[in-house]
Amino acid sequence: MLEAKNILKTFHSEGVVTHALTGVDLTVNPGEFVSIVGRSGSGKTTFLNVLSTLLAPDSGEILYGGEDVTSFSAARLNQLRQKDFSVVFQFHYLLPYLSARENVLLPYMRGLAPVSKDAKLRADACLERVGLAGKGSKIPGHLSGGEQQRVAIARALVKESTVLFADEPTGNLDRETGESVMELLADLKNDGLSIVMVTHDDEYAARADRVIRMADGAVV
Amino acid sequence: MNILTIPLRNTRKKWVKTLLLLVVFSLGVTSIVSLNYVSSVVGESLEKKLTAFGANILVMPKSEKLTVSYGGFSMGDMLLGVTDLSESEVMNKVTSIELKDRIAVVAPKLVAMAQVDGATVGVVGVRWEKEKTLKGYWALNGEYPTTPDGVVVGSKAAARLNLKQGDSLELGGAPVTVSGILFPTGSDDDSVIFAGMDFAQATFGTPDRVNFVEVAALCAGCPIEDIVHQLQEALPDTEIQALQSIVKQRMYSVNFVKQLILTVSIIILFIACCMVGVTMLSSVNERIKEIGLMRSLGFSRKGIFGIFCFEAMIIGIGAGAIGYLGGFALSLEVLKILDMAEDTTLSFNGGDMALTCLFIVGVSVLSAFFPAWKASSIEPSEALISL
Repeated sequence: MLEAKNILKTFHSEGVVTHALTGVDLTVNPGEFVSIVGRSGSGKTTFLNVLSTLLAPDSGEILYGGEDVTSFSAARLNQLRQKDFSVVFQFHYLLPYLSARENVLLPYMRGLAPVSKDAKLRADACLERVGLAGKGSKIPGHLSGGEQQRVAIARALVKESTVLFADEPTGNLDRETGESVMELLADLKNDGLSIVMVTHDDEYAARADRVIRMADGAVV
Repeated sequence: MNILTIPLRNTRKKWVKTLLLLVVFSLGVTSIVSLNYVSSVVGESLEKKLTAFGANILVMPKSEKLTVSYGGFSMGDMLLGVTDLSESEVMNKVTSIELKDRIAVVAPKLVAMAQVDGATVGVVGVRWEKEKTLKGYWALNGEYPTTPDGVVVGSKAAARLNLKQGDSLELGGAPVTVSGILFPTGSDDDSVIFAGMDFAQATFGTPDRVNFVEVAALCAGCPIEDIVHQLQEALPDTEIQALQSIVKQRMYSVNFVKQLILTVSIIILFIACCMVGVTMLSSVNERIKEIGLMRSLGFSRKGIFGIFCFEAMIIGIGAGAIGYLGGFALSLEVLKILDMAEDTTLSFNGGDMALTCLFIVGVSVLSAFFPAWKASSIEPSEALISL
């Protein structure tokens, strides 16, 4: 279970203070699909970044497996990002010089040890699952926008994480491609993966088990 | 497939940028390698030429000095136990030391006194060929003797004895002919008569004996103290004295060339390092998204740091190898142009190449330290929000 308690986050830029999160609470149960909606500047992406440990909150607790991850050392945070948490961004952020398959395997290319056969088989299975079987050798530049986003989802899936964070995963896709991504997320949820998705699209948000609406840095 | 795949693929993908950086860095290494090779040969050659300006080591018989006085009357210093040196022994031993390659000239001297028309004059027996090499600054009115009875007279001695080229005189009872008069040198050479060694030894009854030996050693490759030490071991019954002022003066000229080259090399290397650093820094800024993504996937700071250092290492290996080969070839060409190719024993050395590569890799990685550190300090949210 993932639980956020009284999360506060303030940004200071050129003398301007922005209260991005003003005491947000959220609980995500195992296998639950939660979507967070709100207007631009409502703090939903900041909240997702804090939940996924990519951004440290000013105060508050994020409990995962009973432990407060905000007090984790850099090494433990890395471990959490390596195994338990996966993030899909609005932009795919694929490395342009690696093939689709190598991009999927990127989480396993962290050290000098060669990527295992097992990981390679899992990467092929993930590519197949996102409908890209046979396209593993293509570089991102030779794939469509939808395909690139699906490679990014396969990269998130390959680690077999327990929580998937998705920040506007359909934001840059046409309706048809967006639809296929949403179907994929629904499948993953059915497989028991917890999903926290940020979106400004009410129709997609409604497909989640629960919709959280944010405004001015707070859940409304 | 591992973490090194990332920098390898990136370098391959951005091959134009990599190639340009490699070319610039290789040119820098080429310049440094060739400058160092050329300076080493030029320095050696310069030192060889400088041996024509005198000896820097003296080999003398061991002696004891005794100050004699009686009843408050000083009778001056007396030298005890002075024995002449055996010319053949000294020559053999000097030319058999470990650093014999650094010995340029060995010039023995036999000093005797003779009467010429009632005046006493010093006679120095020399080996003409050695003496000419050692005293390249000598200028003669006349010519060097070609017969055993020929002598060269110093300018002051010639004036005192009223001698000129072609005059005949007697030295120790043996007739000799003046084949040349030395132009003034400002040294003791002006006051004596120089005769051939064989003539001097025969005339003054000391066959194979000499009083001292002057040695001109090349000090660029090793300190003079090492040569003196080896000579002392080879000739334990003699006193070996290094003429430090001459050594220092000579080394100053050689070192000046080397220091100039070193300064130029450092400047070139610094510019090349700046190029690598700036290119890596721009690469970090370009790839901030990638870095943020990798950090979000659990890549450690060390891992990110290593990726950029490895890219610099690839450039360093390439530049080191290409630069060394280029520098070696260039120095051969430059030496040909300077007409010094025959003076050199320059030959390709795999060990030198490996050392050069190692050094350049080290310098290249060092240049990438700041950009790599900057990359490793990037937080995932910072990189992704910046988009």
